[in-house]
Amino acid sequence: MHIPDAFIPIWQGAIYWLIALVFIALALRWVRNEMNEEKLPLLAVLAAGVFALQAFNIPVTMGTSGHLVGGALVAIALGSPFAAIIVLSLVLIVQGVLFGDGGITVMGANIINMGVIGGFVGYYGYHGLMRLTKSMYASAAGAAWLACLIPALAASVELFVAGTFPLVPGMISMGLYHALIGVIEALITAVVLALIASSRPDILDKSVGVPT
Amino acid sequence: MIEDLFEIERLAYGDSPVHRLDARVKIVICFSAIVALVSFPRGEGTFMLALTFASLLALLLAVSRVRVRTFLLRMLAILPFGLSILLFQVLFPATPVVSPIVVATLPFGIALTAEALELAAQVGIRFVLCIGFIILLSSTTTIQDLLMGARRLGFPSEFTLILGMMTRYLFVFGQMFFRVRNALATRCFDPFDRSLPYAYRIRQMGNTIGTMFIRSYEQGERTYTAMLCRGYGKDAFLFVPRKPLTAPEWGTLAACMAVVIGGPAAVLLFS
Repeated sequence: MHIPDAFIPIWQGAIYWLIALVFIALALRWVRNEMNEEKLPLLAVLAAGVFALQAFNIPVTMGTSGHLVGGALVAIALGSPFAAIIVLSLVLIVQGVLFGDGGITVMGANIINMGVIGGFVGYYGYHGLMRLTKSMYASAAGAAWLACLIPALAASVELFVAGTFPLVPGMISMGLYHALIGVIEALITAVVLALIASSRPDILDKSVGVPT
Repeated sequence: MIEDLFEIERLAYGDSPVHRLDARVKIVICFSAIVALVSFPRGEGTFMLALTFASLLALLLAVSRVRVRTFLLRMLAILPFGLSILLFQVLFPATPVVSPIVVATLPFGIALTAEALELAAQVGIRFVLCIGFIILLSSTTTIQDLLMGARRLGFPSEFTLILGMMTRYLFVFGQMFFRVRNALATRCFDPFDRSLPYAYRIRQMGNTIGTMFIRSYEQGERTYTAMLCRGYGKDAFLFVPRKPLTAPEWGTLAACMAVVIGGPAAVLLFS
């Protein structure tokens, strides 16, 4: 769901950039105030790791395959949507500038979709579902699935506003496709959280609620 | 995508007048070309503009001696998502037209309209050219040069520092990705193997990915501690020595910017 250049008019791209920059600034402030010490380098190295593990292709069904985006995973594990914003922004900058996946004028929109919306949906989705289901893995899977679906819907609305994508058929097709691909995000996020909880539970934020 | 990372960086270490050009010049030319392409109003002029920019791109590519095949292969890897949106837009027009000119009628009552095809052509040609400029930039400039160039152009110091850290470790985790993939292959494990239960495959892949996640977190911790030992703190920044542009670099910049700014202006004036 990386929106490419030329699909969004320049002025709308500039608005998305401004919104994205506000969230990046908030995230940088969060690193300074909330994370103990200046742990930006740690997030930077983690972003490189997330970039690499996005390369694993995993089958879904009927010949489709997908890969992890990781926004929900980072937001849940590190206990803040802002961690996801920093990690995903770094990943998207590298993808946009080195590979041309995503674009320059639309990078703001992509950061909003995958970093901001993905991170917030992943984090608050997890805590909302946690209150309902009390199951850590079910909530993580549900939140990760939503964090794949909702950014895709947001991308199709942005493309509709830009006039390059029809609203209703677009949302249905983007939604169905990402609801399918989101299964990967959901299952892998739950398995990864289970692995972290059993081998390095100290990484996980206290709010995750690992039974110790 | 990470498969291409090493190849792109190897290409960027090549030698040609474009490779030797200061990163700032290339960043400014490519980014302003993309902004110009995106912001140019839709209409007849687009094709003239596209021709001008395609010539500039072709000229720079020829001078840089990036092989046509490499360029096309990299472009092919990026195109599918954008093209599928365009195709979808052709089948289900995004902006309703009062009396559309129907070019052809497909099964299921889908009508191909001239307006939708026009929009797809307008967007598609810009999209392809934008990617072309990005490929030119990244296959002639090393990541380190890109970072230094961005910093010299006024990209925030704090962000340059972490982006530098990230790109350095990109290669470490790229290697780790290859090792992990080879290790899975030597054990004859393929996530697409249908003879294995789906739950088993997902669990294996999840554990593999989780291990990489934990390893990158631990690498981050080690790096961070090592940086603290060397005096990293709140006010740390990436030191970038000043480097004035040489006269030929100013000349190239001026010539290319003349095309990037003059091209759209001329097309707008004379059409």
